[in-house]
Amino acid sequence: METNIPKNSAILSALLQADFTTLWRNRRSFRMVLLVPLLILVSWKGLVPKLGGVFVLSSCITIGLTSIGLMGYSNSVARDRDRGIFQRLRVGPVAGWTIMTSRLVVQIAMIVLMTVLIFVVGYFFDHIEISASGYLVGLLMAVIGSGVYLGLGQAIVGLIRNPESVNSTTRLVYFAFIMIGMFGEFGVLGKEVELLATWSPYGTVRKVLAAGLAPATWNMETTYAFFASVAYSLVFIIVGVKYFKWDNK
Amino acid sequence: MSNQVTRQAPILEVDHLNVKYGTFTAVRGISFEVAGGEIFGLLGPNGAGKTSTLSAIEGLLKPTAGAISVCGFDIAAKPLHARANMGVQLQATSFQQELTITEIVRLYARIYGVAITEDEIREKLASINLADAARKKIAQLSGGQQQRVSLLISTIHNPRLILLDEPTTGLDPQSRRYLWQRIEQFRDLGHAVVITTHSMEEAEAVCDRIAIIDHGSIIAIDSPAALIERNLNNPAVLEVVRKGKVTLEDVFIGLTGSAIRS
Repeated sequence: METNIPKNSAILSALLQADFTTLWRNRRSFRMVLLVPLLILVSWKGLVPKLGGVFVLSSCITIGLTSIGLMGYSNSVARDRDRGIFQRLRVGPVAGWTIMTSRLVVQIAMIVLMTVLIFVVGYFFDHIEISASGYLVGLLMAVIGSGVYLGLGQAIVGLIRNPESVNSTTRLVYFAFIMIGMFGEFGVLGKEVELLATWSPYGTVRKVLAAGLAPATWNMETTYAFFASVAYSLVFIIVGVKYFKWDNK
Repeated sequence: MSNQVTRQAPILEVDHLNVKYGTFTAVRGISFEVAGGEIFGLLGPNGAGKTSTLSAIEGLLKPTAGAISVCGFDIAAKPLHARANMGVQLQATSFQQELTITEIVRLYARIYGVAITEDEIREKLASINLADAARKKIAQLSGGQQQRVSLLISTIHNPRLILLDEPTTGLDPQSRRYLWQRIEQFRDLGHAVVITTHSMEEAEAVCDRIAIIDHGSIIAIDSPAALIERNLNNPAVLEVVRKGKVTLEDVFIGLTGSAIRS
């Protein structure tokens, strides 16, 4: 009897359809993930002349990336691992990387949607206008920068098994990133915290995003921030993959 | 009668399997074969090594030593080939809660490379008396219905080897009988079936052979009737007989001890 092993592309396509359907049926939680960056974008309208449109957009996108990577990705992986969904898939002729690739593609699609939504709301509500190349490079930087937060989400589900603990940890990290990152960058928490925030995962991604939205402002410091972001991504991904278990036992 | 079914060539071969968790040895040199047209039961107290053995066969756990082959494919060397030839029903009903039953069936059919139309999905659901559940989600089904869906998906690719981990736990007698009949149908079609169970009634009713595992080793392996016959005069078994007549449960407790395991 011949053994039928489906192609990875066929399996990936099946998983993507299932994961996008799951995302669509969970659209209420997706809306919640988008809520914070959009609320900040709307409420900061009056600050646009003072802070600059690029700063406001890059801050909101960074917060959105943090939401998706921490609240969206890590919680969905922790929940499905707890339910045994991964193990059910893995007893079939499914390579582990196809399961995770499908998950990541869904998150990246969310990131693209979130970034475009911020561009649109920023343009129509906050009247923030940037160049066409700024929108394109900004979108690209958002996808690249998402590696930091998806990697961090992966590290959290790698190090913590219990889904409730993952949920509370991601909320804590999310809160810390926003509070220290945002207020630290404003300088209200002192010089040391400002320096820390600037070179934290929050600060480096925001800086790269800001330079992406205004490509003419890209300088050596941005390049350092870009490499720092890549380094953060690599460290988080290595930790996340090394310690990740497919089940909770 | 199950004992009249002729055994075929081995579909599952487990050879000197060892599984360790750190310094703890969960499985110690277990060897057995399961042929086509055979229902093989793995019995043992909690923590005896049943789930570790099954997980190693499923490829979810890397054995410390030993070899496992499914339809001639070594699980370590050709994991995807081995898994493509097995259908696994896991203990938990581990399907995506957000998908409908039709979507779940379609997903797993595609994963196993089975081309299936909407009409065929409807037919398959009708064959397990779940035609009206096509648009429902898994959580909306009863335990028995969930197990039927789970068995349908485990066998959607017509695998040579079917692994069932405590398939009837928590089911009412009607649902349990129904699943037994389905399992026997697969056996009669030439599939090899491996069941883990805590129910001696189930083991006696459906298994052609059983292996009793304790402390990671197989301590007895034979047909239920032969195991009872062989232990009719075993003092350890006679000591635990409850109703005058030796049952498979008496043999099991006699061989593994009366102490409650964690």
